[in-house]
Amino acid sequence: MTSLELRQIQKNYGSYHALRGIDLSVEQGEFIVTVGPSGCGKSTLLKIIAGLETVSTGKILINGRDVTTTEPGERGIAMVFQSYALYPHMTVAENMGFGLRMAHRPKAEIDAAVLRAAKILRIADQLDKRPKQLSGGQRQRVAIGRAITRSPDVFLFDEPLSNLDAALRTQMRVELSDLHARLGATMVYVTHDQTEAMTMASRIVVLNRGSVEQVGAPLELYRNPANLFVAGFLGAPRMNFFEVTVAAVSGGAATLSAAGLSPLTVELTEAASVQVGDRVTMGIRPESISLAAEETASFAGRVRLVERLGRETILYADAGPLQCVSSESGSGNVTVQIGHASAVAADATVGFKVEPRDVYLFSSVDERTISARKSTITD
Amino acid sequence: MFPRPFPETAIWRRRLYVVLVTGILIVWLAPLFAIILTSFRSTQDVMGGNLWGWPTQFGLVDNYTAVFTQTPMARYFLNSLTITIPSVMGVLILSTLAGFVLARYRFRGNMLVFALFVGGNFLPHQIMMIPVRDLMVRLNLYDTMAALIIFHIAFQTGFATLFMRNFIAALPGELFQAARAEGATPFQTLVHVVVPLVRPALAALAILLFTFIWNDYFWAVVLTISDTVKPVTAGLANLRGEWVSAWNLISAGTTVVALPPVAMFFLMQKHFITGLTMGAVKG
Repeated sequence: MTSLELRQIQKNYGSYHALRGIDLSVEQGEFIVTVGPSGCGKSTLLKIIAGLETVSTGKILINGRDVTTTEPGERGIAMVFQSYALYPHMTVAENMGFGLRMAHRPKAEIDAAVLRAAKILRIADQLDKRPKQLSGGQRQRVAIGRAITRSPDVFLFDEPLSNLDAALRTQMRVELSDLHARLGATMVYVTHDQTEAMTMASRIVVLNRGSVEQVGAPLELYRNPANLFVAGFLGAPRMNFFEVTVAAVSGGAATLSAAGLSPLTVELTEAASVQVGDRVTMGIRPESISLAAEETASFAGRVRLVERLGRETILYADAGPLQCVSSESGSGNVTVQIGHASAVAADATVGFKVEPRDVYLFSSVDERTISARKSTITD
Repeated sequence: MFPRPFPETAIWRRRLYVVLVTGILIVWLAPLFAIILTSFRSTQDVMGGNLWGWPTQFGLVDNYTAVFTQTPMARYFLNSLTITIPSVMGVLILSTLAGFVLARYRFRGNMLVFALFVGGNFLPHQIMMIPVRDLMVRLNLYDTMAALIIFHIAFQTGFATLFMRNFIAALPGELFQAARAEGATPFQTLVHVVVPLVRPALAALAILLFTFIWNDYFWAVVLTISDTVKPVTAGLANLRGEWVSAWNLISAGTTVVALPPVAMFFLMQKHFITGLTMGAVKG
């Protein structure tokens, strides 16, 4: 059953187009995470679903009901804010029961709903405290509890974890996934943190400049990005991009050449129309590059910097004529992620190997992915 | 921004500082001291020119009793309270309502309305003396407490709205979005979210307004003639007419009149200080 449906949502502020025709259909019980860079319109989209902003054109349906012009309180939504937005003069219980109190519900019902939400979030012993007396994580739980109390059709989260420190964020991430599983409720979650997106989402919506770039399951987006933007946005460290030339096309595969690169033959999608001599963008994830002897290597480079993270080692290598067009360090160096503690030291010249099946190709005309689909499971 | 304390070693600067502070305090408090001193004296001392010396006899109790028994001061006092309290309440209610709307709702003409509230403060009230008096006469409200209450509310609401609007605008916007998302009506948001959060501002404003209205002399003289309506400020001036030479009684009356605002300040000073500084330290 469709829980939330957006049809051609547009939002203009004067001549500025914040959202340019968003279509999205969310099934009951889905956890949708909207990601995108700052200013991509993700928070605006959430406020539009909540009814805190009006749409310029388009329709919003919640459980099949057109709520485009309905007041926020009557849409069947509950929102959790980045700053928690708890009322400082009310106790935790009063904060959580606020919505029901405003709706003049009987006191017994409010108390029961508050207690139930507090138990779910394990804050039942904090009900008499004021927000000021709570830690960041507890405050966020109260804010989530306030949403649960209203038993909404759709939960909306606006970067709820970004004010928490890293350890707490990881913990709350797990708790939120668990909460979603227990409530089975539809949730729309906005974040700029791709780890949150990858770990929690049933489906990710990647927004860029007010348009949806791609919608899909986290691994699907990671393994099969629809275009250069999604490929570059998901994944840390970022994908390496290189300008290469098509040297030969045969049997649905293109052979690529570039100075400093031994030829790679990459399978193409059926729709791709690539000619010999075309320039295309090649993308390789840092973890798809491995160390190799120079004679079998795809390219060689001089290691500029080594970051040792314990379970992995990240190298930034200068591959001479093979320069990254938009790399993690911004210097044209190639980023390489090795899944163990490597002995490679700075200033060493080493060979790097790339498997053609791990290579992405993007059209330089419209930035769409033109390499063949990859399996989402790699083992 | 704030003056830094003088270093311990700058002895002369420290001494100069103490001398200056003392000097300013003396100049500042001298009139008040003179009035309180005079209110202790007997009529004979005042008549005899013993204004600064040791009183030959203390008239403290006599003077303060006489103010209430021999003059209509008690009546004036009651009038002042009857005028001031409803005026303060009226201004607080109107300015909170107007401030909330101006701070939180975008509508055509918002800035214009706000500019009118602010701009009105820069007009000297005195230029409206004749029209206001004529209006009150035509409304049959001349020489009634209602006239003073209406005009105090009208004239103080401009400043108070500016004050409240800025406080409400400084509250975090997400609180209002949260309230709206939870289905609170604008009025519920005002009552359950705004008012509790701006309570320090309301307290500070209440003290200021109480002092302004209680101390008003101009409108009291313009709009009242009867003793049954006159507030204390105008009443004090009356005392001078009747008791030309009884400066000790006038002084005692003045001291009594000055007490309510002072009491009000001490009762609410904690709120007053937080109210005045709240906007500066909280986003």
